[in-house]
Amino acid sequence: MNHSTMIERLQRIVGTKSVFHESGDLLVYEYDGSVDGVVDTARPAAVVLPTTPQQVADVVKLANEAGLPVVPRGAGTGLSGGAVAQTGGIVIALTRMDRVLEFDREDGTALVEPGVINLELSESTLSDGYFFAPDPSSQRACTIGGNVAENSGGPHCLKYGVTTNHILGLEVVLPDGRIAWLGGNHLGTAGYDLTGTMVGSEGLLGIVTKALVRLTPSPEATTVMLAAFGDVETASEAVSRVIGAGIVPAALEMMDALTIEAVEPQYHAGYPMDAGAVLLIEIDGISEDVADTAREIELICQESGASEVRIATEKIERDLLWKGRKMALAAMGRLSPNYYLHDTVVPRTKLPATLKRVEAISAEFGLRIANVFHAGDGNLHPLMLFDRHKPGDVERVLGASHEILSYCVEVGGALSGEHGIGTEKRDYMTLVFTGEDLAAMAGIKNSFDPRGLFNPEKLFPKGYMCGEVRALRNQAMAQKHGIYPL
Amino acid sequence: MDSMTVDGASIKEVVTPGSAAELASVLGEASASGRAVTPIGSGTKLAVGNVPAFVDLGLSTGHLTRVLHYEPTDMTLSVEAGIRFGELQVLLAERGQALPIEVPDDAQATIGGLIATAMAGPRRLGCGTLRDLLIGISVAYPSGILAKAGGLVVKNVTGFDLMRLHLGAFGTLGVITSANFKVLPLARTETTLITSGLTLDEALSAALTARQSRLRPISVEVFSSNGKWQSAVRLEGRAETVALGVSSITSNPVWSTELSGPESAQWWRTYVQQQSLIENGDDIVVRFGSAPKKSGTLSQSVQALLSKHALSPQLFAISPGLGTVLIRFDSEGLSPDSIKIFQSAATIIADTVTVLKAPADLKAGIDIWGAVPTTVAVMRSLKSEFDGGGTLNPGRFVDRI
Repeated sequence: MNHSTMIERLQRIVGTKSVFHESGDLLVYEYDGSVDGVVDTARPAAVVLPTTPQQVADVVKLANEAGLPVVPRGAGTGLSGGAVAQTGGIVIALTRMDRVLEFDREDGTALVEPGVINLELSESTLSDGYFFAPDPSSQRACTIGGNVAENSGGPHCLKYGVTTNHILGLEVVLPDGRIAWLGGNHLGTAGYDLTGTMVGSEGLLGIVTKALVRLTPSPEATTVMLAAFGDVETASEAVSRVIGAGIVPAALEMMDALTIEAVEPQYHAGYPMDAGAVLLIEIDGISEDVADTAREIELICQESGASEVRIATEKIERDLLWKGRKMALAAMGRLSPNYYLHDTVVPRTKLPATLKRVEAISAEFGLRIANVFHAGDGNLHPLMLFDRHKPGDVERVLGASHEILSYCVEVGGALSGEHGIGTEKRDYMTLVFTGEDLAAMAGIKNSFDPRGLFNPEKLFPKGYMCGEVRALRNQAMAQKHGIYPL
Repeated sequence: MDSMTVDGASIKEVVTPGSAAELASVLGEASASGRAVTPIGSGTKLAVGNVPAFVDLGLSTGHLTRVLHYEPTDMTLSVEAGIRFGELQVLLAERGQALPIEVPDDAQATIGGLIATAMAGPRRLGCGTLRDLLIGISVAYPSGILAKAGGLVVKNVTGFDLMRLHLGAFGTLGVITSANFKVLPLARTETTLITSGLTLDEALSAALTARQSRLRPISVEVFSSNGKWQSAVRLEGRAETVALGVSSITSNPVWSTELSGPESAQWWRTYVQQQSLIENGDDIVVRFGSAPKKSGTLSQSVQALLSKHALSPQLFAISPGLGTVLIRFDSEGLSPDSIKIFQSAATIIADTVTVLKAPADLKAGIDIWGAVPTTVAVMRSLKSEFDGGGTLNPGRFVDRI
């Protein structure tokens, strides 16, 4: 199929106003939130913005006909390169499918289109006493479809779980263009957990056209605490003690001095500029419980050597403290023209040692690294500050990144806590998974997308899919039919 | 284990490998030689599933019983699939932690079986299920490979979620050899409140009000008892908080019984044990599912259905917060045809109907999983990919996959 025919046919499916194919229009779709230099930018052949599931299905069928790759895209805030069309093809942007279709106040569920913005979903259900718990920092812009693709987390997933714990069902367009409803709206749905398999699959197995989400009842009371410590190690020991006491805060975040240096002059949230590290702790529940738990945490922090513990009960105070944390990245421009936000997880008990190692790597590579992260679940976000235009900076960033990732894996951590693998970490998959582990995952990919049209060159290591999947299939064939391919 | 049967079909040989690698090897060989394999934990849930197409080899996880890793401060745990849940609960309780799962025969049930069957009890309302706690898994496949996914950290987006794929797959895609969990702190105190005998509507109403009280109970049940109906709710948390919750709910005098601590825990163990699939001989156990807000209608419809078919249930347990109804009745006098008619009528009143247990001759003519979901083609695709030879539990799963 030649290019102009494809454009024409796409226009017939979604309308001429919903197809971008001119150079200038495609420019903004060449990249996402990932760091240029770590993840390459790439131009798709076309971008479509459908408004119905059938349109999505028809575009996918067209892609099948033309043998073109398909890359789903939400708001493009992803940090691992998931929405960048590395091998060209058609980008399907779901942003125009942005309606909350149904809201069940009694059972606390909502049926939403993939382009609904995460924070806007919570805002629309707040007056009825509900919110959508997964709250990534990008929630003012990121979409539910994207949250599903990356199994997004956020500060509140410590208590409430990640996206997969809040998805009851999904309508998806499969790689062959079929529309399928996965899952149900209650327990006991028969069959494989296809919904659970789809969440976190980074756009490789299907495109979400509807999501049935579980909403969470808003807590009766909320309190936010700020505890200041001399350094990150002391702060992380306090974290261990709080969790070890059997307390599950709604959120437990840490920010170091470098982060505060950017954040406090920007937002004036009241973060002590002389602290080595601060903990931001949110507790929610019934009022008496919240008050008791706050006191208990205050004691633990003081016993752990906190120089200051503040308890904020008024909404305005709490919101301001959170602003400092949630908009930390936006303030980084005060310190540096570029940053690379890392995402790894380590067991909580390994946090102090890991932070020490990050400090050492920072010194070794001559790079400033800020720490702003979800301490409660060991999800680190080392933030490397650099300047793209300074010779050697990008190389140093890549070198330091490698060291950090390797160390985290060594101490029993994972490659990604929230951002996903995408292109960014695909070649690190062999650091944590064997050929057999990857073969099982390739089996899932092959089962949903035998032609490999959906989001190629993501998740699996470079060059992996071709050889290994063939080998797995051969094995299966041999067993089933006694056929041994030449 | 010599005379183990699955729906009346006898398993001719049972192998109990000494390691996960050995298990994968045995599975690979069995698959290559065209044998049908039934994964076996402790057999407490073997009753669940369609009558098997073939039964050849039993593959037991009986020797895979080690705790591979337990770090209480990290609240993570890794165990081999054959470990008994009772043993595991004791180990965790010693450190003030727990996996808050409730199933009948839980002391004997193996962790692999719990994952494969994805069964859960009343506590799922407030505490979630294994689905929310499973963070890593290792599985042996018919191709002979042993593959892991996830890890030992509580947040992880590294590759596809094979944990969720194998959870509830009844061993039809692979045999689970080990699993990693995040564990939760043990509740500091617990209290159970039970109503006196009421009408169904009164019991449901009391349950609904209690459910919406300030301290949300982690379990809310309504059940038939001596011709009447009762509701039971379970509150967990700090002593002061639970006391608050109790006084708020008991302002309604129908809540006449209060149990605390070990008494409270024991009550729920007894309640859940009534749902056992290995006791009670040739009975039939059916679970209905619907949207939680339709629990009242569902309960009434199930009552009417039982009445119409002249069946008196020995057990009728409703989880109004979850939208499920579980019934147990005697199979005497029933025929394959009458079961078929019963199932047809049941599918009209509920979104899902699962015949969890029935004598083999009675269930041979039905698909116990109920109406075939629209995604069956996707499921068959996965089955074909991982078990193209139909080695694992052939015929037992949805649409006799």
